[in-house]
Amino acid sequence: MKEASVVAWDGPTRVFKWALVFVVVDGWISNKYGGGFPAWHKLNGYTALVLIVFRILWGFVGGSTARFGSFVAMPGKVMAYLADKKKFLGHNPLGGWMVVALLALVLAMATTGLFSGDEDRLIIDGPLAKTVSDATVESAALWHRRIFTAIELFVLVHIAANVIYALTSREPLIRAMITGRKPAEDYADMPAAEPGPWGRALACLAVAAFIVLAPIYIVGGRLL
Amino acid sequence: MKLKIATIVGLAVAFSGVAVAQTDVIAQRKAILKQVGEATKPIAAMMKGEAPFDQAVVQKSLGLIADDAKKLPALFPADSKTGGDTAALPKIWEDKAKFEDLFAKLAAAATAAQGTIKDQASLKANMGSVFGACKSCHDDFRAKKS
Ligand code: HEC
Repeated sequence: MKEASVVAWDGPTRVFKWALVFVVVDGWISNKYGGGFPAWHKLNGYTALVLIVFRILWGFVGGSTARFGSFVAMPGKVMAYLADKKKFLGHNPLGGWMVVALLALVLAMATTGLFSGDEDRLIIDGPLAKTVSDATVESAALWHRRIFTAIELFVLVHIAANVIYALTSREPLIRAMITGRKPAEDYADMPAAEPGPWGRALACLAVAAFIVLAPIYIVGGRLL
Repeated sequence: MKLKIATIVGLAVAFSGVAVAQTDVIAQRKAILKQVGEATKPIAAMMKGEAPFDQAVVQKSLGLIADDAKKLPALFPADSKTGGDTAALPKIWEDKAKFEDLFAKLAAAATAAQGTIKDQASLKANMGSVFGACKSCHDDFRAKKS
């Protein structure tokens, strides 16, 4: 990059972001083509849960643009952004809500999966399905499908918004989510991001894995 | 007038005859599919480690699944699209070739698994194609309960 650039996204935030993309796509593939290999889809679900819990922790102790405090904006701020369209280094006030929505949807998707099972309770069932009634399993499975439709919709809007934004405002949003850097400018939120350290990210990941897997293992008795 | 009544009665009898035939074939396929489900259950339990591996049960179940998969295509005639509380989706008759091919795949997978499974490890390694066949057909051709 020739122009002066600044850090926009720290490494852990970027790795998380693309890992989440992978998990959503792999969740679809493992359902569509891995019908005979339930462990694949289930492992994918646990990975999704661990990633989301990691991101929630990182939203409090991670890099400055990853923190919820820096991008979850009050409606007033969203309206102001829509009016003045100022440039933000991190998520803009509107985009911030897309991040929250996507995280919430994937969390709900994976959580309903824990209680879901196939129609005949034969081939695949979530680790907690046997701890609840059949009716609950059925409605969990129903919501597991509905939420996926919502995810597809939100992902489409998310991608479209980024492509349109990158084309019309000439801000390299998508590249920034890969390289982590953006051209130095007069951003409305902060001039440069303070990255969160990798060590802290690893600690968050370990805590997230424990928070997710330990209760499932204790209550459900097994993971795969 | 008499002729008219006779015609109506005649038609009614003819139609109810058809209706009986339809529900019959629907009940028949549902019973066979239920049997397929029952045959799969003990294998599923072994896969999850909830039951010990039992070669005799596995062989018998897979044989049953393969036989049933060969009987099933004939039990979805064009006049059995609705009625009898069927969960069969109309798509079956729109894409009959693919639907029947899936039953053929299931039969082939069950027979192949029968030949290769001899312990817990080979059970885990070889049931995937059988379960995958159930799921890919249900995804496309069977209505969800909820
Ligand atoms: C080629 C398609 C196809 C394949 C392969 C298939 N099924 Fe089905 N299955 C169906 C359809 C269609 C129904 C709904 C039938 C109806 O309600 O008329 C059904 C229904 C069922 C039912 C419910 C029966 C009832 O009580 O009404 C069970 C259980 C079942 N399938 C188990 C299995 C299992 C286990 C396998 C794999 C070993 C399997 N099926 C493979 C198409 C298939």
